[in-house]
Amino acid sequence: MAETDPARAYLPSFSARSAALYLAIPTFLGAIGIAGYGSTLDGIARLLPTATIDVGFSFVRMCAAYAASLGFALAYGYYAATHRTGERVMIPILDILQSVPILGFFPVAIYFFVGLTPAVSWLGPNIASVFLIFTSMSWNMVFGVYESVKNLPSELKEAADTFGLRGGLRFRRVLFPATVNRLVYNSVLSWTGGWFFLVEAEIFTTNTSPLRGIGSFLSLSASAHNADAFLAGILVLIVVIALLDFAVWRPLGRLAERFRYDTSPSGEGAVPEPTRDHAGRFHRAAAYVTRGVRTSVSWISTPLVQLASITVRPVRRPSEFQRSVFYYLALGAILVVVWLMMIAITVAVFRVYTGPISGSVRHQILLLPLAMGASALRITAAYAFCLAIALPLAIFLARRPRASRVGLPIVEVVASFPATALFPVIIFELIPYMGAEGASVLMLLTGMMWYLFFNLLAGVRSLAPDLEEAARSFGLKGRQFFRRVLLPGIFPALVTGSITAFGGGWNTMIVAEYLHVGTSRSLSVLGIGQQIDIGYAEVGGTPLMVAALFTLVASVIVINEVIWKPLYRRAADRFRYD
Amino acid sequence: MTLIGIQHVDKSFPSRHGTITIMQDISFDVKDADFLAIVGPSGCGKSTLLRLIQGLDRPTAGRVEFRGKPVDRVCAQMAMVFQSFALYPWLTVAQNVAFGLEALDWPADRIATQVERYVSVTGLDGFQEAYPRELSGGMRQRVGLARALAVEPAVLLMDEPFSALDALTAESLREEILQLWTDPQLPPEAVVLVTHNIEEAIQLADRVIVMSRRPSHVLAEVAIDLPRPRDRKSPAFYELTDRVYSLITEGGTPMSAPPEGKPAA
Repeated sequence: MAETDPARAYLPSFSARSAALYLAIPTFLGAIGIAGYGSTLDGIARLLPTATIDVGFSFVRMCAAYAASLGFALAYGYYAATHRTGERVMIPILDILQSVPILGFFPVAIYFFVGLTPAVSWLGPNIASVFLIFTSMSWNMVFGVYESVKNLPSELKEAADTFGLRGGLRFRRVLFPATVNRLVYNSVLSWTGGWFFLVEAEIFTTNTSPLRGIGSFLSLSASAHNADAFLAGILVLIVVIALLDFAVWRPLGRLAERFRYDTSPSGEGAVPEPTRDHAGRFHRAAAYVTRGVRTSVSWISTPLVQLASITVRPVRRPSEFQRSVFYYLALGAILVVVWLMMIAITVAVFRVYTGPISGSVRHQILLLPLAMGASALRITAAYAFCLAIALPLAIFLARRPRASRVGLPIVEVVASFPATALFPVIIFELIPYMGAEGASVLMLLTGMMWYLFFNLLAGVRSLAPDLEEAARSFGLKGRQFFRRVLLPGIFPALVTGSITAFGGGWNTMIVAEYLHVGTSRSLSVLGIGQQIDIGYAEVGGTPLMVAALFTLVASVIVINEVIWKPLYRRAADRFRYD
Repeated sequence: MTLIGIQHVDKSFPSRHGTITIMQDISFDVKDADFLAIVGPSGCGKSTLLRLIQGLDRPTAGRVEFRGKPVDRVCAQMAMVFQSFALYPWLTVAQNVAFGLEALDWPADRIATQVERYVSVTGLDGFQEAYPRELSGGMRQRVGLARALAVEPAVLLMDEPFSALDALTAESLREEILQLWTDPQLPPEAVVLVTHNIEEAIQLADRVIVMSRRPSHVLAEVAIDLPRPRDRKSPAFYELTDRVYSLITEGGTPMSAPPEGKPAA
């Protein structure tokens, strides 16, 4: 019986159109550089070798992080999916961990690992960065494995039971193939996010503990206004990403096609596209929350959810709206008090371990709620811009097949490029034009946009065609169609996209609010990310760094529990098709 | 000889609204050379019963026995054919058919011969290297059947095997099942078929177990004494269909007068 050998079917797959799109980015930037900044092709070429080496360093970090993530995801995911007792603990833990903005821990991680390896100065930051990228990559891969195994159609599991398949054979023939599709898809997502965060991390450490890599290369080039170097770096980075796309991800995607399964019994059913399914795990994690906690949380969250769902259904009575606003303000006041209390505790703990804290640092710590509020406003502003762009774009592309055939590849290529690579340009060149706040919001936007866009795209696409037909046959058009059919239909995707967008935004804060390269401080806006960075960079600021990080993490967790999860649960209940 | 004994089996499930009892006090036997059909309304637990028989699930009360011994784990002498075929999309037809044999640790050459044999028997010749998605529904179910037969089970369990197929394909598969059944060289020794199609049950089986609505019990065991192949248009066939149908819908009284000499068991 011949085994069809997947290795023999592997072929790198080159797409001329995508290659052209990839090269369009450096060409566009190059044109600006040559025209505006006096850079020359010759100059760029001379710097290519250095740039390549630096990208090489970054690439090695990515590979190390990915290898660790893959192993971790397979082990953790399988175990959680096949062991009831483990599942009850492992999945909620992961759910909370993955909502924590991991980049916030980067300063702390460096601090920690450098402390561990004082003799070898370059080891600490490198381990810290690899560890951080590993954590950012592994969550969605773990969930991919976990969900694939759990969602395997019960008949396939029963067939394995019926024929007595156990252990290694069961793994090879049933469990592992079931995860291949999701693993490949989630690996692509992980790498995209990984590049983004790795470059962000490298930019962050440019001044303090240099991590040799593309991020620091670009950052130094931009601060020295060296357009040649910057363009060389961008070019090499894009070539590497394009090569990975053609030589690894596309062929793997083709191979993984074989492992897709559809649940329709007869004929060719349309296989649902593997969207970034945060839906399933939020839903499950929500179920684990004990009833007591849930009722007390819902006391707080119901008015907030009502406030949020005003977007989908019009307010009927003004008193309802007023009540929601009142609760919202009261909640804000309560939260500020709680924050202050938590900070006081943190400070007290620190005093025990590190001795007295200087007055100025203490002063900064007390202002942390203010900083948190500023960051929250900033991220919300960035979100609003994202929504204004992503929603129309997603609707347009999803409903016009001709436009999407051209537009979607463009969007995909742009999205695969880590926007953090452009941050140095934004910071060093654009601040005079848009101000520090503007630049900050712009950077946050790049970290949030694609999460929102791709979720919305999937949401619009998955709108059941018969619901649309019904609407059309009843003569619903334009604004009415939009409000009564389209928006409610994509509400769950909107919620999921927003949740992940905010997650991306929190993670971008570390570099979007404060950057200090060379002797000039280039960006500093009031915010929690800024406080973490200041605490890290300045002598004696460790308590500030930890307190700020604590504030950020606690706030994000509270926001998730009180706003996003109930909102998601409400969306899942009301807008499910089944 | 009794192959399978089901004795006073209850099955209930815990749910959000308390415990749901699916079936109560189910008792019947499956003997050597029996072709048994189980019919009943939706939700009466026919499919659950099949899983209890194989040992994929355990009864809440009562016993399931195979050849006198209790079924406390999945019984390797039974094989199931599934309603939605349950084929692995990443395995070829040949690999799917070999599925159970690999678990039995057969050597590779022996597996190959066995696969070839049952691929032929079920009319899948030429499709060995095809993937399930390239096959029609009827072909896919043939693969499911080949897979089950390849492990040469004593009892073949079939869970609504034709309900996902169109009427014409289902009919031709039913005839193929009958041909396989009447071939003494082929396994199995007994067949348990679960179906909601009363005509199908009467066309294929020697005995029909009629189950009631949930919480279900055995309403009757109707013996089908007609010689095969059975003519669906014959009066005897009509009468049997009628009787089973009334049993299910009215839970007891047949609509037409009971014919002579054929009491419900």
